[in-house]
Amino acid sequence: MAAKDSPLKQFEIDPISNIELGGYNISFTNSSFAMLITVLVITLFLTLTVNTRSIIPSRMQLISELMYNFIAQLLSDTVGDNGKRYFPFVFSLFMFVLIGNMVGMIPYQFTFTSHIIVTFALAAVVFIGVTILGFINHGIKFFTFFYIPGVPFYMHPLLIPIEVISYLSRPISLSVRLFANMLAGHTLLKVFAGFVVSMPFFTGVFPLAFIVALTGLEILIAFLQAYVFAILTCLYINDAYHLH
Amino acid sequence: MPQLNPEFFVSQLFWLAVFFTFLFVFLWRVSLPRIATVLEKRQNKIDENLSSAKELQEQAMEIEKKINDQINKAKLETDEKIKETINALQENVSSQLSSLDKDLEKKVSDAEKEILKSKDDQMKNINNEIVDITKLTVGKITDIEMSDNELNKVIETHKGNFN
Repeated sequence: MAAKDSPLKQFEIDPISNIELGGYNISFTNSSFAMLITVLVITLFLTLTVNTRSIIPSRMQLISELMYNFIAQLLSDTVGDNGKRYFPFVFSLFMFVLIGNMVGMIPYQFTFTSHIIVTFALAAVVFIGVTILGFINHGIKFFTFFYIPGVPFYMHPLLIPIEVISYLSRPISLSVRLFANMLAGHTLLKVFAGFVVSMPFFTGVFPLAFIVALTGLEILIAFLQAYVFAILTCLYINDAYHLH
Repeated sequence: MPQLNPEFFVSQLFWLAVFFTFLFVFLWRVSLPRIATVLEKRQNKIDENLSSAKELQEQAMEIEKKINDQINKAKLETDEKIKETINALQENVSSQLSSLDKDLEKKVSDAEKEILKSKDDQMKNINNEIVDITKLTVGKITDIEMSDNELNKVIETHKGNFN
């Protein structure tokens, strides 16, 4: 447990209602609540704005279409025609991370993407899915993925372990990147918020101005990390289709 | 760090699975097909409009061609008509001119004839006058009574000197 005024206190999980299933604690917590809000925002927005299905879109409908085209373009650029099958998954992943980050930017709102277990679960789904996909597409030949062609033969004993390690560290890098960004950003905001209160006289406005600027940066990072998560997923899917 | 406290790991994973699965299925089955339909509908509409615009353009070009053809045809017809009229007028004029020429020629020849006739008459008259005057003159001067025939003969022989 963190101390009362610790900047890490914001990451603490508070159960809203205690639920137990088969001996496991699956309490509905503030983290689950943030996920619920995220899912509601995404589903309601994407459903209601496209409700009229107008050929000439309203501004809100245009946002939905832009998001759709953004991810569709990303997939077709990185994976090509094979990527269309994974569009719903990549789109869901992008929206979940993006809106999750954005919901976390609301003051006093919990940021579930700042929890390593959540980002690691998402990254693990991507990693396991892509690995299975690779074996489905290439069978046992998928192992040649770790063999880099055009390299002197005596380099392979060194390179193949490196390739294997880098492949296995994919879910870790993917999840830690998102988690660390969120953690650092929110901690920094909290630290400077503490300065606003503790600094004497009117000097508190300086950290306050910094917080305002930092909030803008955090919103940018929120988008950027969702984008990075999506584009890396696309690249991994591409790897499962095209070995070197 | 609360993130490393495994107390709520299962709860987190459980609710993540629930919400993410719901989100994925909902987007896959409901939201994305909707957006896809809208985009497809719009693309179809654009394609439709483009093709109909192309069709209309072709029609317009056809009509323009028709108009040009008709203008050319009309020009040719007009030219033909103008030529015909000019020809007809020219013929008319030339025929009238020739008939006028004929008339004039006739008139001229008639007039010439008349002139000749009147000249002859005049000459005859002059001859007679000359005969008469000569007869009178000779009679007065010489008291010689000359017959007309004799006088005529004399006059005829000297006629060349008068002119």
